[in-house]
Amino acid sequence: MTSAQRQRVRQIFEAALERGDAERGSWVAAQASGDAVVQEEVLSLLEHHQRAGKFLAEPVVDRMPDLLAEDTTLVAGTTVGPYQIVKELGRGGMGRVYLASDTRLGRQVALKALAPHLTRDPHQRERLRREARAAAALSHPGICAVYSLEEYDDELLIASELIDGETLRAEIASNHRPSSDEIIRTARDIASALAAAHAQGIVHRDLKPENIMRTRDGRLKVLDFGLARTESGPAATGALVTEPGMLIGTPAYMSPEQLNGQPVDARADVFAYGATLYEYISGVHPFAGATPLATIARVLESDARPLGQRCPHVPIVILECVERCLRKSADERFRSAVDIVRALEHAGDGSSTATPGVWWRTHQVVIVLLYLIAATLGWQIKEWIETPTTVSLFIALGVGAAIGGVLRGHLVFTERVNRRELVREHRRSVNVLLTVDILMAAALVADATLLAAWPLTLVLTMALGVGIALAALVLEPATTRAALGDV
Amino acid sequence: MDPDRPARPADELAGQVYQELRRLAAAYMRRERPGQTLQATALVHEAYLRLAGAGTPWRDERHFVGIAARSMRQILVERARARGALKRWGGLDRVSLMESLVAAAGEDAMLPALDEALTRLEAIDPEQARIIELRFFGGLSIEDAAAALDISPATLKRRWSLARAWLFRELTSRLT
Repeated sequence: MTSAQRQRVRQIFEAALERGDAERGSWVAAQASGDAVVQEEVLSLLEHHQRAGKFLAEPVVDRMPDLLAEDTTLVAGTTVGPYQIVKELGRGGMGRVYLASDTRLGRQVALKALAPHLTRDPHQRERLRREARAAAALSHPGICAVYSLEEYDDELLIASELIDGETLRAEIASNHRPSSDEIIRTARDIASALAAAHAQGIVHRDLKPENIMRTRDGRLKVLDFGLARTESGPAATGALVTEPGMLIGTPAYMSPEQLNGQPVDARADVFAYGATLYEYISGVHPFAGATPLATIARVLESDARPLGQRCPHVPIVILECVERCLRKSADERFRSAVDIVRALEHAGDGSSTATPGVWWRTHQVVIVLLYLIAATLGWQIKEWIETPTTVSLFIALGVGAAIGGVLRGHLVFTERVNRRELVREHRRSVNVLLTVDILMAAALVADATLLAAWPLTLVLTMALGVGIALAALVLEPATTRAALGDV
Repeated sequence: MDPDRPARPADELAGQVYQELRRLAAAYMRRERPGQTLQATALVHEAYLRLAGAGTPWRDERHFVGIAARSMRQILVERARARGALKRWGGLDRVSLMESLVAAAGEDAMLPALDEALTRLEAIDPEQARIIELRFFGGLSIEDAAAALDISPATLKRRWSLARAWLFRELTSRLT
């Protein structure tokens, strides 16, 4: 485009602003008088002018005064209380983190300078002081220990245990999907750290993979208790929505009530725990959406895709725990991490669920075979002694075998295909199955009493009846418990 | 020009403005209390009073605000870069980018990209680039910006619309 053309574009564009939308198109075409380049450029600019919304509408500083805050970096050698800065380790949403050495005790610590936007408000500052004090009182191997709170040149710094390791975020990003054992251990470690805090009435408020670290020797540590912003009300939610950079970080792990600006308690941590665990296991965030706003909408409105569908090998206890943590209504979740710890007590017990699953399936198949033998025996007995009694017993055995066989077949199918539903399906059918088994056992025993002329068959029939009864009353609860956990 | 860093003001006077604004901004941020808002114009005005009082030979305040707005642009773009704006900007998909531009949300992420687009606009039409600098970075009102550029407020308003539409197209088309 020549500069003469540019000048034309400017004149026509500026004049077109005065005209109504309807006549603009034809008016611009007339003004461009056949110069297609000019015409196209003016129309394109007019279109963008209309779509630009609040773009550049207000001075940036008026909207984001934080941007002017000097990013002060503490240089190596600076003394903060008893600590001496060694170097900067990194920075996050909460502020900068430094490696410092404790001059009195000769150990190294992490010194976190809280971001100015967190500490400028005096109430907020006071609250952070209080929270840091509360967090310092927590002593648990799974919680990053807080040593002290320091103030330096208007900055608030928290000295804490130095953790040498990686965050859970890095682990998730590494694409290594954890085994059942690893899942159970991780789920328990995080839950027990959270439970220790919840038992003291301390809520984390910002649990997420970035705030959980694994040390080089494999222990998990939860960081940053109580440091998250707690402003409530619609304004806080608005602030979240207007900061796209922030969104991918924290709000994705916020519970619906937190996003709605309602007061939060331990159950918000329970939700964040569920979302974190879900992502750790599957590598996918439960509510991941195409845009931050879409993610928030999904947290508020849609259910996560069942974890069992993504990862069928995961122990059922974990699947149920995650599902319950992610309920929209806080009342339906665990009351606190203390309850999660209790729910996970029986999970796996060090062994994966593969072996118990095989035992349980074998049990089901064997029982169905026994049903068939029982029905066949009933038919044979009816052939030998055809009385109304033997006929009814045969019918009873046949019907029992059919019902029991179908139900057990359904359970095995559920276990293979949709494991998450197994507990519920099992609960629905367990009483029917028990009744069927006991009735079949009774029918076999009744049949056996008629077999005085065939002693061998008598013993066999009697044994089969007793066997089915014993399997139903003793064996089955054991194999089921092993396969499904405590049901 | 090194594309990763905004150029420092060329002459020494501009350098002084830049330093003074940085200092004032930091002082403001330290003093700031809830309920008080920091305004770019107030900052620019205070910097002028201080520098004029120090005997710096400014022609007038109008001359000064042009340089001050440019300094503000540099300071803010630097800060945004230091806060990882490029990474966040690059991480936005087209839909969320549109959303945040139109809603004027998360503006710090956009600043480095806006700065580059503004440099391109400068090459085509320096006056348009000045207008955006004065209004968006310097915080000047339509009247003050018009006075600084010696044009009528109505003309400034129309030209601002043109510059804004051009920049909006630049920023959104980069991703297609």
